[in-house]
Amino acid sequence: MNARIELVVATVDDAVPGIRSLALAHPDGDRLPSFTPGSHLVLDVPAGEGRPRRAANAYSLTGESSDPRHYTISVLRCAPAAEGGSACGGSAWVHGLTVGDRVTATPPRSAFAPIHLATRHLLVGAGIGITPLLSHLRSHVRWGRDAELVYLFRDGHGAHVDELKELGGDRVTFLADRAGLAEDLAVRLADQPLGTHLYTCGPAGFMDAVVDLATELGWPSSRVHLEPFGVAALDPGDPFTVGVAGQVLEVPSGTSLLEALEDAGHVVPNLCRQGVCGECRVDVAPGSSPVLHRDLFLDEETRGAGDCLMACVSRAVPAADGRAHLEVTL
Amino acid sequence: MVSMSQTSVPRWAWDASAPAAEPDLRGRVFTLVVLPGAGDVADRWSTALAGRDVRRHECGDVDAAVAALRADLAVARVGHRVLVAGTARECLAVRAAGVRAGLGDDEMAFGVVDTAERAVWCVHCDATTHAAVELEAVVPCTGCGRRLLVYPHVSRLTGAHLGFMVDAETPADGSAARPADGSAARSEGEAA
Repeated sequence: MNARIELVVATVDDAVPGIRSLALAHPDGDRLPSFTPGSHLVLDVPAGEGRPRRAANAYSLTGESSDPRHYTISVLRCAPAAEGGSACGGSAWVHGLTVGDRVTATPPRSAFAPIHLATRHLLVGAGIGITPLLSHLRSHVRWGRDAELVYLFRDGHGAHVDELKELGGDRVTFLADRAGLAEDLAVRLADQPLGTHLYTCGPAGFMDAVVDLATELGWPSSRVHLEPFGVAALDPGDPFTVGVAGQVLEVPSGTSLLEALEDAGHVVPNLCRQGVCGECRVDVAPGSSPVLHRDLFLDEETRGAGDCLMACVSRAVPAADGRAHLEVTL
Repeated sequence: MVSMSQTSVPRWAWDASAPAAEPDLRGRVFTLVVLPGAGDVADRWSTALAGRDVRRHECGDVDAAVAALRADLAVARVGHRVLVAGTARECLAVRAAGVRAGLGDDEMAFGVVDTAERAVWCVHCDATTHAAVELEAVVPCTGCGRRLLVYPHVSRLTGAHLGFMVDAETPADGSAARPADGSAARSEGEAA
C-alpha cells in the first residue's frame, strides 16, 4: 500500500463562502518534502458520520513548493448523499476539521507538472480549479518564466483572489461569466507564441469548453494539459460477478469492483478511487465479459487489448448471452 | 535486429514504402519546406491545403530550409504546422531545427522521397559523415577514418544517427582482445 504521512491542522481559513483553506504541518514542526508545482495530496477520509466506507480525496497544493513549512489546500464543500448531494462526504469532513486535528495523507504526487521546455505558460482555471494553477503561477513568478493566468469565478466566491493579484499583477485576468471567458479565450488562444503550453483545471464542462476552443484554433494536444477533478458522478451500473483467486464475488449495482474486492479481504493498491490516478489497475483474464471502461487513465490502445481495467470505476457489461462476469488477477 | 518501432528512428526515415504524411487540417497556418526533388509531394500538400494560410519555401539545401523554417517560426503562433518534403537525411535535419525551435511531434509532418542517405555522427571525433548506408551497416568516418557502426538511434536535436567504432574491442595491432577479467593482461606480463 502507499506510504502515508501524518500531518496536523495548523490553520483554518473559511473567509470564502463554501471554501475552506487549511494549512497542514509536520507534527514535530519540521519542514515538509518539496513538491512539483501542480501536485496534490490524497487525504484519507475515515468511514463513519454517514460515510459508508473510507474515502481518499485528492486536493491540490496551493502553497510554496520548495522546502515548505506547510502543505496548504483549499477545499470546496460538496453536499454528500445525506444532504441530497452526490459527493462521498470527504469535503464535508474536511470542513469539520479543527486546528490540532491529525490527518493522514499520501506524500505529494504530481500528474500536472509545468512543461519545462515551454517558453510560455497560459493557465486557465475556473472555481476551485484555481488551486493547482496557483501553485504553477507561484513557481513561474519565482523563476521568472513567462506566464499568464485567466480565472473564472462567481462574484464573491473566488478563492485566492487577493493572493493571485499580489503574485501575478497584470498577468492575472479575472472573469465572472462564461460568455466573457469565451470572448477572452477566442482572442487569447489565437495569439500565443509558438512555445506556449496551455494548462486548465476546473469543472469538466468548463475544461471541455477550453479544450474545444483551443482545438478549433489549431492547438495540438501536446500543448494542452488538463487536471481532471470533480469527476462527474457515475451511474451505479449493472450488477456482475467477478472471479478472483478461485472465489466468485457478487458486485451489486452501486458497488464498485474495487469495493467488492476490498470487502472480500483483498488488498488492491488504490489512490483516487475515481478513475484518474491509475493506481488500482487489475489484470483481466480471458473468459471475461466486455468491459465498460469509465476511467480517465487508460488509453484507447490499452483498452483495445482488453487485458486490464481500473477497478474503482469500470465494470463488466453483459455479453450476448446476458452473462456479466470478469476473471481478474491481483 | 532491434524492433524498429522501439527505436528513435521514425518509420519514414528508414522505410522507403512509408507514405508521405497528410497535412493536419486542424492547423491554422502552414509552413511547407520543400527540398530539391520533392516538389511532387509538396504539390499534393498544396492542393490539400488550397484556400488555407500556407507559406511554401523552395529550398536548395538543408541550410536554406532551416533558415526559412526559423524565419517563419520566429513569428509563428500556436496553431502553426510544418510540413517538410525531401530526403530522409534532409527531413531529419529540418526536424531537428523544428525541435530546437520548440515544435512538438504533432506539429510537424514529413514526406520523404529517398531513405538511402544518412547523417552519421561519430562519437569518437565528433565529425558527421553523410553517406548512403543502411542501419546497422558500417561506414568509414570522414573525420577520423574509424569504421562506424550505424546504430538505429537518431538524435532529435541534430538529426544524425549514432555511429561508433564497430571493432572497438579489437586492438589496432590485430592481437586478441583482452577478456574482461584481465587474464590476458596477466599472461602478457608472464610472456614478457
